[in-house]
Amino acid sequence: MPEFECRLKTFRQQKGLTQEQLAALVGVRRETIMRLEKAQYNPSLKLAVDLSRAVGAPIEEIFIFE
Amino acid sequence: MKSNQAKIFAVLGGVCALAMAVSVWYSVRFNGGRLVEPMDFSSYAFRPQDLPMILSLSALTLYILCLAGWCLRAAFDTRRRAEAAHTTRALNPKLGFLGLFGFLGFGAFWTYPRDGSIFPVVFFVFFGFFGFFYEGKMSNTLMDERYQENKQKASARADALALRLILIFTVILSQGRFLGSMERALVVYLGLVCLTLALDLFLGEYLLYRYDHDELTGESEG
Repeated sequence: MPEFECRLKTFRQQKGLTQEQLAALVGVRRETIMRLEKAQYNPSLKLAVDLSRAVGAPIEEIFIFE
Repeated sequence: MKSNQAKIFAVLGGVCALAMAVSVWYSVRFNGGRLVEPMDFSSYAFRPQDLPMILSLSALTLYILCLAGWCLRAAFDTRRRAEAAHTTRALNPKLGFLGLFGFLGFGAFWTYPRDGSIFPVVFFVFFGFFGFFYEGKMSNTLMDERYQENKQKASARADALALRLILIFTVILSQGRFLGSMERALVVYLGLVCLTLALDLFLGEYLLYRYDHDELTGESEG
């Protein structure tokens, strides 16, 4: 899995969403959001787009690949 | 299967068992044990006294076929409901104790020397039911993309290990001289293949659980 930095937590908190609420918005489990925020899970393009729309931030700012 | 249907099947099963018991008693008592004790069917000639045994056997066969049909239908319905809900099926982790039936496989050590039958070996596959313990722990889990990914990864690892083990067993046991006779080697081979299939079934569920839960302990809502 490629190394990347995930700034989802920052954008989620800026939007005032809990992990549970964000998970419900994008149709995944809270555990998946936890993994994403720890950069332990590389999401599909669809999930990345859904997350981007949910937190209102561009994909390239949420996921930063080195 | 609904509870009233289950009750009907239980009552019908009791009726069939009772009819069979009465027929066997009648045959042994008044018909020389025909159709109960082993007999040569090539020279079989119908007698009216055989009728109770024939009727109860037919009823029992019909009952078993209907029961199997209902069980299959119930299993398909459960699976269809789970797929429509996008969640895993609800299962009691205690069903994992069904894996204990795997020990029936050791019955082959008793039946093989006695009459050469090796069918109990197949019971080793039941060891795989220990996986219900982990599947039950993941009941009603939303099958999101990470779950699907983990499931595929777990299945692939379990299948790959099972295939490697089967290949190793095949190479070793196909030497023939391993146990002094090809027949014994084949019996052992069947047992090992059944154990490997059980391992495959168990590992598929165990690895999925581990992939899903590892490194998540102690995390809190940020």
